[in-house]
Amino acid sequence: MEKIYIGVDVGSVSIKVVAIDENNEVLFNSYVRNVGQPIDTVKDELAKLHNELPDKEIGGVGVTGSGRQLLGYILGADVIKNEITAHATATLHFHPDASTIFEIGGQDSKLIIINDGTIADFAMNTVCAAGTGSFLDHQAQRLGIKIEEFGEIALTAKRDVRIAGRCTVFAESDMISKQQYGFSKAEILKGLSKALVRNYMNNLVRGRKLKPVFVFQGGVAANIAIKKAFEEEVGHEVIVPKYYDIMGAIGIAMLAKDEMKRTGNSTKFKGFEVSEEKFETTSFICKACPNECEIIQIKANGKVIAMTGDRCGRYSNSVI
Amino acid sequence: MKITFPYMGSPYMYEKLFSLLGHEVITPPRPSQRTINYGVKYSPEFACFPLKVILGTYLEALELGADTIVTSGGNGPCRAGYYGEAQKKILKNMGYDVEFIIFDEPKRDLKTFLENVKKIKVNNSWRQVIKTVKTVYDMAKSMDKVEKIIETKRAYECNKGEFTKAWHEITEEYRKIESSEDVKRVEKKAIERLNSIKICEVPEEEKIRIGIVGEIYVVMEPSINGNIEEVLNAYGAEVERSHYISEWIDFNLIPLPSYKEKEHQILKKGEEYIEIIIGGHAKQSVGAIIDFMERGFDGVIHLKPFGCLPELVSQSVIDKIMREYDYPILSLSVDEQMAIANVLTRIEAFLDVIKLKKHRKRIAR
Repeated sequence: MEKIYIGVDVGSVSIKVVAIDENNEVLFNSYVRNVGQPIDTVKDELAKLHNELPDKEIGGVGVTGSGRQLLGYILGADVIKNEITAHATATLHFHPDASTIFEIGGQDSKLIIINDGTIADFAMNTVCAAGTGSFLDHQAQRLGIKIEEFGEIALTAKRDVRIAGRCTVFAESDMISKQQYGFSKAEILKGLSKALVRNYMNNLVRGRKLKPVFVFQGGVAANIAIKKAFEEEVGHEVIVPKYYDIMGAIGIAMLAKDEMKRTGNSTKFKGFEVSEEKFETTSFICKACPNECEIIQIKANGKVIAMTGDRCGRYSNSVI
Repeated sequence: MKITFPYMGSPYMYEKLFSLLGHEVITPPRPSQRTINYGVKYSPEFACFPLKVILGTYLEALELGADTIVTSGGNGPCRAGYYGEAQKKILKNMGYDVEFIIFDEPKRDLKTFLENVKKIKVNNSWRQVIKTVKTVYDMAKSMDKVEKIIETKRAYECNKGEFTKAWHEITEEYRKIESSEDVKRVEKKAIERLNSIKICEVPEEEKIRIGIVGEIYVVMEPSINGNIEEVLNAYGAEVERSHYISEWIDFNLIPLPSYKEKEHQILKKGEEYIEIIIGGHAKQSVGAIIDFMERGFDGVIHLKPFGCLPELVSQSVIDKIMREYDYPILSLSVDEQMAIANVLTRIEAFLDVIKLKKHRKRIAR
């Protein structure tokens, strides 16, 4: 039976599930919004995957993204790794000559510098989300346009307008005043795209010398106005890969495959039955010390399978 | 006089110093969310993070009945030098009647220094004072020695958590000492204890060594920096800090040149990038990075409290060092807004970068 490898990327805004074969061909992919129930969403997507590829053997499972630890535990993942490594792995597969990766997701933005085919340096936004997808989402909403149309509309702009993009909240007030000066919606959108890229350059690139080939991925890469703004900023063509929005999931699936090949182990995947199990997440405030941590408890069919959220290890070490 | 002090690293050394001199000591609780909330609430918004947390610590100690706060000053243009004065004012405005005893470097103002010493000395003979200081100094040296062993070996423990548990128990033993002989005895037992913990060794070429540099408070206080040493150890990396309390004493309080040698060397290594002392530990941080690099460490993590000006300067120097030497350095900003998930992702990716780099070097050889 042919083996497939599953990659799951649990982001703050969206959840990505993919399956690849031995040759890294993508056989299944899905991209859904994370509406706060990541376990249920992943369960549904896995069921779909099983439906579409019923007669394949699961060779390994990898989980990445900000919710990786918990979900990795529930699924029985073989590899649980950060999204920076996962993204770079996928990019280097599709574009082996890439030197600079711009990755902009819902609430994270990352810069990955590649040297000799491995990650040499990276940066990630820290205190602020002004350079991320959520910023654009919010502003598009304000202007009453669909996020999917953002890029197309912005490209029709005839003039440039500078929007203060340091902070999402101030960008909004600046936008309103620029609208009152008579700038069109398209021009405002173009201004916003440039503000986002400016932000990205200031906060993440911080004076690093960027070399081509440039690759731009993550959900925001769908926005052609941002791609264009990046191209203007770096003075070079920027590539948006075919699977730009699921690169993290593909990368972690590839890492799972490599890990299984390297160790020769069989997968720890708990099987698709996991999707039949009923998961329940509850939380309580621990009163053992003044830290008052919020302890998160995950139950499967009524049995506690994982606890997390404590700073001292009082509960997280007591995983059953 | 009920004495309290800031909480930075293990508090038992300060506790011992004052209690051996016969004072009533109020040992502040380990900084927690409550401490941070207190500090953030009553400090000016623009103040740096350590000032806020330490103010929170004082408030908790005052609630427990303390009436005298003993702390160190700072030098250079860093705001830490005004912490004592600023906190004194804040506490006074809040209606607390509390005495501050602030120790600055003796060479700056010998008179005040000696006056402060007298306040702590009270009725003890000078002989007694010197003996006590010696005991506490030995204790600090010894605890740092043991902690350094833990920072190295914990990376390879077979059963997670054993070293941390041992460390908690060992510090409780140190808490009971009365003399330098006790220190020696406790240290011997501690090292035996650590040697008995099961180690899962990894091949030498796969070992990862990380240096931690930055502002002293966020580097030394694990409850504030997200237990970064333990986290790095758990990822399988050995750790060494740029700050240990015994080394701080050597440089700042002991008026003998030979004790200052190490720090002077570190400062000299920072000279190329920051010529003058710009306050805080900026120059030391940069010097320590160069030092770790020269000693073959695989990378450095730089911690800066949000809003710390000196460390902001060293952060911009770091960009240059990274490019010049192709050396991995990760700069993290620490404050009450620090998001653990984000920090863990970056630490994990940082270690991946280091592993790949080592791997590449091995293949090239």
